[in-house]
Amino acid sequence: MSSSDASDLGAHRDGNHADPHLAHHFDSMETQNHASRLGMWLFLGTEVLLFAGLFLGYAVNRHFYPHTFKVASHSLNLVLGTVNTVVLISSSFTVAMAYYSVKKGRNKQAAGLLGFTILCALAFLCIKAFEYQHKFQEGALPGKWFHFHEMAGMPGANMFFSVYFLSTGLHAFHVIVGMAILIWVLRRLIRGDFTRTYYIPVELGGLYWHLVDLVWIFLFPLLYLI
Amino acid sequence: MSQHADSSALAPAEARVYQEINYLNADRGVMSWLKTLDHKRIGIMYFASVLATFLLGGIFAMIVRFELTTPEPTLISANTYNRMFTLHGMVMVFLFMIPAIPGVFGNFVLPLMLGAKDVAFPRLNLLSLYVYWTGAALVLWGVINGGADTGWTFYVPYSTTTPMTLFPVLFGVFIIGFSSILTGLNFIVTVHTLRAPGITWMKMPLFVWAIYATSIIQVLATPVIGLTTLLVGIEKVGGFGLFDPGRGGDPVLMQHLFWFYSHPAVYIMVLPAMGVMSEIIAAYARKNIFGYKMIAYSSLGIAFVGFFAWGHHMFVSGQSAFDDGAFAVISMLVGVFTAIKVFNWVGTLYRGAIYVSGPFIYACGFLFFIVFGGMTGIAVATVSLDVHWHDTYFVVAHFHFIMVGAVIMAFLAAIHYWFPKMFGRMYHEGWSMVAATFIVLGFNATFIPQFLLGNAGMPRRYYMYPERFTALNVASTAGSTLLAFGFIIILIYLIWALKHGEIAGPNPWNSKGYEWRTSSPPIKENFEHTLDYPEEPHMYQEPGEEVEHVVI
Amino acid sequence: MANQTKHTKAHEEAHEHGPGRYVVIWLLLLVATITTVVTGRLDLGAANLPLAMVIATIKATLVVLFFMHLWDSEGINRLVFGVSILFVMVLMLGVFGDLFTRMPMSLPPNAPSPALEQGLNAPELEHTPESPTAPR
Repeated sequence: MSSSDASDLGAHRDGNHADPHLAHHFDSMETQNHASRLGMWLFLGTEVLLFAGLFLGYAVNRHFYPHTFKVASHSLNLVLGTVNTVVLISSSFTVAMAYYSVKKGRNKQAAGLLGFTILCALAFLCIKAFEYQHKFQEGALPGKWFHFHEMAGMPGANMFFSVYFLSTGLHAFHVIVGMAILIWVLRRLIRGDFTRTYYIPVELGGLYWHLVDLVWIFLFPLLYLI
Repeated sequence: MSQHADSSALAPAEARVYQEINYLNADRGVMSWLKTLDHKRIGIMYFASVLATFLLGGIFAMIVRFELTTPEPTLISANTYNRMFTLHGMVMVFLFMIPAIPGVFGNFVLPLMLGAKDVAFPRLNLLSLYVYWTGAALVLWGVINGGADTGWTFYVPYSTTTPMTLFPVLFGVFIIGFSSILTGLNFIVTVHTLRAPGITWMKMPLFVWAIYATSIIQVLATPVIGLTTLLVGIEKVGGFGLFDPGRGGDPVLMQHLFWFYSHPAVYIMVLPAMGVMSEIIAAYARKNIFGYKMIAYSSLGIAFVGFFAWGHHMFVSGQSAFDDGAFAVISMLVGVFTAIKVFNWVGTLYRGAIYVSGPFIYACGFLFFIVFGGMTGIAVATVSLDVHWHDTYFVVAHFHFIMVGAVIMAFLAAIHYWFPKMFGRMYHEGWSMVAATFIVLGFNATFIPQFLLGNAGMPRRYYMYPERFTALNVASTAGSTLLAFGFIIILIYLIWALKHGEIAGPNPWNSKGYEWRTSSPPIKENFEHTLDYPEEPHMYQEPGEEVEHVVI
Repeated sequence: MANQTKHTKAHEEAHEHGPGRYVVIWLLLLVATITTVVTGRLDLGAANLPLAMVIATIKATLVVLFFMHLWDSEGINRLVFGVSILFVMVLMLGVFGDLFTRMPMSLPPNAPSPALEQGLNAPELEHTPESPTAPR
């Protein structure tokens, strides 16, 4: 079993199609990009399952305490929630546009769009912090801190705010992580790392950011509306 | 392979060359290991780590076993006993068994089997090792400082009311979960994108299929346990009450979330073990694997059906009768897929030219244990029977048959099978057979009495028991000593073989597996050239060709 | 070529669409948000939850398909995402199969029994929040 077709190991590194971004164990950028994209989607799959547990917690407790959940959800600030939804959706839009711009080679435009996305993330977090602070003052922080007079005596009020703080907290953590990723991408973009042919970090960073949006799309109506 | 008409399965002496410059010595120094991106070195580091945790878990197990030799307090106090079995469970499940075969052999041989130079994301691979170390350190620090006495399942409300500080342990398990996810993610992408030309899906070695199926479970189930441990931790610290019936929460919800991961986790452990066996049985029977496609698909089948079976852990938890029935029926489907594999392995052995060595004895043990463990699994999945057996030693014995009987046998078999590839040297085959015999017999002696104990009604996790259970408990402890003795023999001759073993050569077993087509130990880049893969990985004869039986 | 991947020309080509597509999706998402806010606070009885979920699902689908390019992505990525959604469903199904059929005795003390509960309208329970559900 002699091995024919002896192509040298490092062939592509010093061969014609050398690309500084190509790792030694891949032989084409296309395969490498495919791998990166697939890896990211798998990671997003795990994120979906991670949030599924909290959505399940919501669903189960809502099933137990439908009336309480309705009352409690109406105690949240709908205006701020809606503003936050619009902020996140718009940031999702701008990050998609940034990806498009990088692909077209318009790096300046992309940098502006990414910068706007990061600002949106900051705005989201500020609004969220404001909402949290208000809820802390009302005593809605669940567990041993819970003393929310407005809903005293209602079974399951504690449950609603447990789910509320856990799910929005985990989501806010993802916003922070997503923001960090986008800042890193923006830094590389400004440094001039990305070209019309090499833009995979922008794409992956964008994918992560869209997931943050995706989770919020479900959290918003469940927590604020119904 | 031209030499396969040779008188034994072992390769002829002239073929035994030691690769002088290999992945082990291509770079030197501790930092070259800690910063390595080489999947083989990461595999070796996993190897060292899981051996350490296995030793630790084993010591805890022995302490538990010795405590139970008499009905009265023997060695340790009741509280220490609780902590010991918790430690045993936690260390063995989260620190040892989940990363054992995927972390060590998945990392080491999977890229070799695919003709790849590395896994898809080498940096992520190293990160997953560091994450594992961090989580493991946190768990161990937590159990030394705060202690954990809840059993490895962390059931609420006990885990939220115990005076012990559980949070570091729970957080450690949460972190280890990420290591598992990253490993699985890496393998899936590797299988999809880094197969060498010629290795189509239907020519992948069966170990790769098994690891692929395992990885799917790792990626999809692990986040749920991460969330669960985090929630229990928050519950413990902040008293949120999600799982606390006193505050209106639902403890059964916690069990649902816990077992949604922890049942498939059994397949994270056992699927790679099955993959190892598919490789070893074909190699030592020197015969084409029987039913390649069925074995490959049944791995995916187990991974899929495994997700629908978690409720059978909750038959007496207050889960509804409807769910009890549904989960019981679906659980039994796992038995169908496992049986497909077992029949195929037995079909492979039938009329094979069997070469008896350490790995082969483990394979025989494995077949017995998986059938026995699987059959009792069907029994405990039956609701009416489980109500009687639940939380007795019967269940303990059942899952040890799968987790120790099947998984540890496969782990040991894998060590013995791939040791020559990893280190380029052979161990003493005679001693390997002695140790294997000790282990297979010792295992039976340990756990068959536990079936009887459980059936007689001895509950698990109890510190003291009535007089009448003494004899069987002593038998079980005696068996575990035998088991421990076997492990010590292995440790001695393997360490000896690292330096003084015979030179193994690239393919000491004359195996057809793709991973044997490079030097032993492999060079840093895995292969000198890109190879061709005209033959299938488990094909020892041409179609119609007779198996060559050799009298030694 | 040492790695075996089918060359997905489709991926490169399908991206040749203008920014208009993103703008349209963004506008649709905004419209859907307004719709869900308006309908969410109307009293539609039992229809509120399904309606909100349908709108959220539509929004999510738009984001996944067009912002995240799953529409013209490699098939395997679609499979991965689909499978993860499937297993979320499995988790929900298993737990709800339990909840809807569980003995009231093993429900949390203050929770209304599913047999009595009719969606959001369970008036008789609202007035007796403290009474534990009696086992039948």
